[in-house]
Amino acid sequence: MKLSAAHKNGSLQIAVLLIFLLPILNFAQISYNNSNLFSPVNRLKFGNYLFADKDYLRASAEFKEYLKSFDDDTVRFKYSLCLFNIGKYEEASDNFKTLFYGNPFTEKARLYFYESYFFGKDYKDLRDLADNQNYKSVRYSKEIDRLKNISYLMDCSRLPEMNSFLSVFDDSVQSSIAKFYYQKKNPKHKNPITAAVFSAIIPGSGKIYTGEIGDGITAFITTALSAYLAYSNFKADHNFRGWLFTGLTAFFYAGNVYGSAASAQIYNARIRFNFDKEVKIYFGERNYFLPKSDY
Amino acid sequence: MKTRALFILSFMLFAFVIQAQDYLKSQFNYANDLFKAEQYYDAITEYKRLLLFDSTNTYRYQTEFKIGESYKGGAKYDDAIKYFSLAEKDAQDKDEIFAAKTQVIRSNILRRTTDRALQLLDELEKDSTFRGEIDTTYYWRGWAYMFADNWKSAARAFATINPSHPLKILADQTDRAKVSVTFAKVISYILPGAGSIYTGKILSGLMSLAWNAAAGYWTINAFTSNRIFDGFVVGELVWFRFYRGSIQNAEEFAVQKNIDIANKSLRYLQNEYKGIKP
Amino acid sequence: MTKLKLLTICFVFLIATQLHAQTDWVKWDAQTVSYELTKTQHHEYTIDKSGFGMTLISFGRNVYYFFISDLDGDNCPFNPTCSQFLVQSIKETNIFVGPLMFADRFTRDLNFIKGRDHYQIIPNGKLFDPVYNYTLNSKKIKF
Repeated sequence: MKLSAAHKNGSLQIAVLLIFLLPILNFAQISYNNSNLFSPVNRLKFGNYLFADKDYLRASAEFKEYLKSFDDDTVRFKYSLCLFNIGKYEEASDNFKTLFYGNPFTEKARLYFYESYFFGKDYKDLRDLADNQNYKSVRYSKEIDRLKNISYLMDCSRLPEMNSFLSVFDDSVQSSIAKFYYQKKNPKHKNPITAAVFSAIIPGSGKIYTGEIGDGITAFITTALSAYLAYSNFKADHNFRGWLFTGLTAFFYAGNVYGSAASAQIYNARIRFNFDKEVKIYFGERNYFLPKSDY
Repeated sequence: MKTRALFILSFMLFAFVIQAQDYLKSQFNYANDLFKAEQYYDAITEYKRLLLFDSTNTYRYQTEFKIGESYKGGAKYDDAIKYFSLAEKDAQDKDEIFAAKTQVIRSNILRRTTDRALQLLDELEKDSTFRGEIDTTYYWRGWAYMFADNWKSAARAFATINPSHPLKILADQTDRAKVSVTFAKVISYILPGAGSIYTGKILSGLMSLAWNAAAGYWTINAFTSNRIFDGFVVGELVWFRFYRGSIQNAEEFAVQKNIDIANKSLRYLQNEYKGIKP
Repeated sequence: MTKLKLLTICFVFLIATQLHAQTDWVKWDAQTVSYELTKTQHHEYTIDKSGFGMTLISFGRNVYYFFISDLDGDNCPFNPTCSQFLVQSIKETNIFVGPLMFADRFTRDLNFIKGRDHYQIIPNGKLFDPVYNYTLNSKKIKF
């Protein structure tokens, strides 16, 4: 009886101890998780902190580690955004692709998928995907079509018919975009052969044709002066000097014919360069008509 | 039984408190190890991790300071200055504030934004809180001047600390070894090539003199033989060209020689000087 | 004064946050920065050993540097200079096209009113006029 009471007392003590110990054990578990800064939960916390600080490369490393333990759509979306923001477009598009079905990010992931192709300058594939309606977003179909059409201004591909090109843009911007369309379709290029022929007929005129008036006049003067010196030296029976200046005349003449063709090519390259710059500034200022990012 | 239970409880609570302190410390040590191994990018990641989880801000100042030092180690001075400024804001005492402020100055010296470094040093000198640290400010002032190739002012700054300060002697020696750019140019106006010879480029100076003598002879000879056009052409295209060239060369050689002299001292400072460096 | 300091700190912080974000978007390594002052680049007396012709041409250029170019001052407004342009254009094309490119460059050098808006001005004040823009290969042209 005495033993039984002692036993009962002991059991009570153990029960009391357990009541205290269980929350402590629970606390110990939480404490362990908190103190392990590299646990998946803490990696996610740190990743989110870095993401908010726009420290995307570090954030992507944390999200990647987290995703090894848990598959989470939100984290994968953020991970893809990190890659997108640091310019790893190919990797980003691959990751956005995994979010195309059965999750809340389907539509956005599809838009970012196309954006990855666009900002990664893979214009041809972007157009192929859009034309074949591959992974096309329902909500962002207009944005994707706009990206596709802007991409025509970014490379040397054949422009589509004007009405269909402009139809995806708002009425308020169509006249500005139409100007880009015309400039792209009919660039004011100079023909290198014409420039060379001009200079072959009148030295320096090819340069003037390409807008290099000072260079053209200089070329004319140097060629004409050396030709005159050759002529006057031959006339004065200074044959050596005559031949020397003849050689110089030929040198300047040929150099100018060549230089005029090169000048026309540089003129055309400058037109292309300025056009690309203007397109980038115009669409860049308008964020390529894309929705404002919430992230 | 009761005592044992109480003992276990107390021990566990104590262990948790210790553990909380311990994991922050071990994280700080881990980041420090990366820092020591010069893996600055990774060190910053780990310091940032510590910053997030250090809810009691125990390591805040040290961590921000170390992030600043890591960026400095990667020559990312803008970011380094940002974190040293944050450390200054979170400093607990005047020593910590001073350490952070001087790091900002040192980053500016390395970034060669000398004006900013000198402006910050002026502010530091005027601040009565740091009156006891005045020698340190003169020391960094000297370094700022050395990096700006102003060795005379550097010598003055080091002399304020100690007239026989080793860096004062070095700055004086460097300043004295330099050649005068103006003198090199002036003597070249009088005798072409003389400036180049003065800066130690003897062959170049003699060749310059020879060209000028020959071109001068051709020009004068053309004029005296009534070949006025030839005289103008040779005078303009040859004589004047080499005369102007000798003056330009004198200036360039003097500047280059002075850079060589300064670089010799700067090389010594970077590789052999044992004192504290920016 | 305190307000001003606070504003300055806020401003520096804002600017630095923007800078910082992009600094760390690519992993970087430790870097030792030289204390030395930068010297202006002078003619390099190098010999191009890529072929007998190039060796001969670069040798000729060095002779020109030694006896004339290094003594007659800084006359060429372009970078690369005309002599460098000649050697580079022959290397880039061939012995026939290279001199034509040089003749064109020499004529442009004689132009007193150079279209400064047509050349990029580099930090040393020279007009940047690289060889690759004149090879008649439009794909090589860069701005």
